[in-house]
Amino acid sequence: MLGFVIQRLLQAFLVMVAMSIIVFVGVYAIGNPIEIIIPPEATEEIRQAVIQKLGLDLPLWQQYFIFVTNLVQGDFGRSYIYNLPVLELIAGRLPATLELVLISIISATVIGVTLGVYAGYRPNSIISKLIMAVSVLGFSVPSFWVGLILILTFAVNMGVLPAGGRGEVVTILGMDWSFLTLDGLSHILLPALNLAFFKLAMMIRLARAGTREIMLTDTIKFARAAGISEGRILRRHLMKLISVPIITVFGLELGSTLAFAVVTETIFSWPGIGKLIIDSISVLDRPVMVAYLILTALLFVLINLTVDLVFAMIDPRIRAGAQ
Amino acid sequence: MKVKTLIASMAVALGVTLSTGIAAAQTLTMGVRGGPESLDPHYSALGSHAEAAKHIYDTLVWSGDDLQIEPGLATSWKPIDDLTWEFKLREGVKFHDGSDFDAEDVKFSIERIPAVSGPTTTTIYVRRVADVEIIDPYTIHIKTNGPAATLPYDFVRLFIVSAEAAKDYSTPETASAGFNGGPAAVGTGPYKLVSWEPKGDLVLERFDDYWRGKGAWEKVIRKEIPNDSSRLAALKAGQVDVINYVSSVDYLALQRDSSVDAVVGDSVYIMNLQLDQRDDTPLVRAKDGSKLAKNPLQNPMVREAIDLAIDRETMVEIVLEGLGKPANQMMPPGFFGSSEAIPARVHDAAKAKELLAKAGYPDGFEIDLYCTSDRLPGDGAICQGLGQMFSQVGIKTNVNAVSKTVYFPAQSRLEYSVFMNGWGTLTGEASYTLGALAHSKNPEVKMGAFNRVAYKNDKVDELMQKGAMTLDADARRALYEQAMVLTMEDRVYIPVVQLQTVWAAKAGKLTFQPRFDEDTLAFFIKPKN
Repeated sequence: MLGFVIQRLLQAFLVMVAMSIIVFVGVYAIGNPIEIIIPPEATEEIRQAVIQKLGLDLPLWQQYFIFVTNLVQGDFGRSYIYNLPVLELIAGRLPATLELVLISIISATVIGVTLGVYAGYRPNSIISKLIMAVSVLGFSVPSFWVGLILILTFAVNMGVLPAGGRGEVVTILGMDWSFLTLDGLSHILLPALNLAFFKLAMMIRLARAGTREIMLTDTIKFARAAGISEGRILRRHLMKLISVPIITVFGLELGSTLAFAVVTETIFSWPGIGKLIIDSISVLDRPVMVAYLILTALLFVLINLTVDLVFAMIDPRIRAGAQ
Repeated sequence: MKVKTLIASMAVALGVTLSTGIAAAQTLTMGVRGGPESLDPHYSALGSHAEAAKHIYDTLVWSGDDLQIEPGLATSWKPIDDLTWEFKLREGVKFHDGSDFDAEDVKFSIERIPAVSGPTTTTIYVRRVADVEIIDPYTIHIKTNGPAATLPYDFVRLFIVSAEAAKDYSTPETASAGFNGGPAAVGTGPYKLVSWEPKGDLVLERFDDYWRGKGAWEKVIRKEIPNDSSRLAALKAGQVDVINYVSSVDYLALQRDSSVDAVVGDSVYIMNLQLDQRDDTPLVRAKDGSKLAKNPLQNPMVREAIDLAIDRETMVEIVLEGLGKPANQMMPPGFFGSSEAIPARVHDAAKAKELLAKAGYPDGFEIDLYCTSDRLPGDGAICQGLGQMFSQVGIKTNVNAVSKTVYFPAQSRLEYSVFMNGWGTLTGEASYTLGALAHSKNPEVKMGAFNRVAYKNDKVDELMQKGAMTLDADARRALYEQAMVLTMEDRVYIPVVQLQTVWAAKAGKLTFQPRFDEDTLAFFIKPKN
């Protein structure tokens, strides 16, 4: 097991090094932020001074070297636009994204798996067909459209829920959380629903397919023959067997939603990191873009690592296969 | 159980929304497209930054609704010799912490700017200042590096901070911490800072001792909602009382909606078509793709044909849904240096074709037209419209409406031949516009920085340089008007339309006067009785 962990850690490290180079070169190839951030009236001297201050006059490799040196010391640099440390900017907005994503992913998983198992267990009932119809909808309707319809229905026409923003927050551990106040909760409801819709559909399909497959296996037949109750079969045998793909998808979805809740955050003006990155891209705020992408890569690497390790614990064959 | 809790919490949420609606009678909530980048007013020169700062800080010279300068913290100003301006300061003005405003604060603010200015640099406001001399607590002399006729215009965004409160927060490292909700954020403006977070809400509280009188709102919340549809939804859902930059599509829908008042104001932005004058221009060619012997844009007849091809009325009516005005010069009418002698431009496709033929292009030629698609309202659509109008007179046009992050760097690398972008005369006078665009590129006299079409008219250069040194306002105005007339006759810059801006507010609740610079200022928004 230890060898497996070390091997995985080493892989993760190499991925991060490669990612940092790709991200850095990629972002720096996009364009020169100078034209965007310096006003037209600036004289040539002012221009040169700013270019020098931001280090944009150095060759790329030197900029990368400075960046990595700072990075090793935990310094992601300062935002060109806000003159604040990038980590502070991102950390200030992480709780907003985190609570939105966790609420939507966990509720999508709990509800989705329950509905999916039901639909797989009783594939011919009307309710099951209804569930499947909803899941098709979840897959095929674009999420920005769902978001707009949610705002139109609940905020503009019915006027019962706010159209955007985060509402009242409570500060715990130095971070602001809005799911702990009623006002905050009313703000989180629509974006969370919007974000959960697609994942719900996916979880339903995943759970249903797993259930249908496993209900036909010998394991279940023997369990039934042995007189084990249906409830116990579902809980003990079925859930355990379908959990591997669900954990994988849960992990990946958690990562991708954390990193790319951009559309929902933009539509609902949710002050999370997705909105930060979009705003930063539009003004070519390089340090923020680079830090965000590096942190995203790190997030995926960590999630994959965790998922692998969890599997290795659940299923010894995976461990053996890697060695 | 679960469903019940959900319904219960929704019901409570509804109650909360309603009750804040009642308690908020004295609160103004504004939904705006852009926000400040810091609450240090000396950090950034962006319009949205200054707009936010104007709630907390005052400027030495105030720019009025139509961008003509008025007294602010300075009550009067005059040049006393070629290199000195005297400013008299307003007495009896209090800072938010109760201390008095005087010449010390002005000197401190001017000298602080170079130290804390960010990339969108505010040093442009003090670039002409050589030295600040305090004569008495309410009189200062500004020594300039050469005659600086437009100095008072530079000062419309010179925000005055308290020397006492800000003195420990005047390095790039400490400034943001001191001002973003910290102890340094002390101004003389109508509102006091309560809290702010980047890209989030700016919360303000009324300053009762404001020298212009008490503001109408006890509390002001300035919410940053960059997405146009989200901002409108927030207004319709009752989350905000007023929003800025309503898109032209939404404006059409709002006209049928009795719950919302729309206010239309003239914008300071004019869309300019710019024609490259270099001998070898990259994106103009014959229709078969071969290289032309000469750059046709150098030919005055071709430029006139391009001008005549533009149907500005149609552009306003169809493309902009009525939200604009045909433009005949590079500044809105009434601005210092705009000329009344310039006639309205005409549309005459037949004559345009004739001129093209006379210029030696009976079959026309082919151009790539570039413009931004995400900077100003309607920019991409105007570009498409121009493309069609040019094609009608025989100039085959490939329209490229691209993101500003692509457009501006490429424009500055001089990669375009024919391009259009908006230019706002933010200081309200011609040296800002003609000095940057029409004067030939000349770093020595600090002019022509944005002349990216190699335009050079010696007479215009001379007039602009003379204007910069002429301290007498009337004489200077005459010089600038003449420069404007000459530039417009050359048609290297062809103004297309002046844009308009739309605000929307809950019906019957607010009154306010739209401003040329498009600022949304809480102090000037009043409840409707």
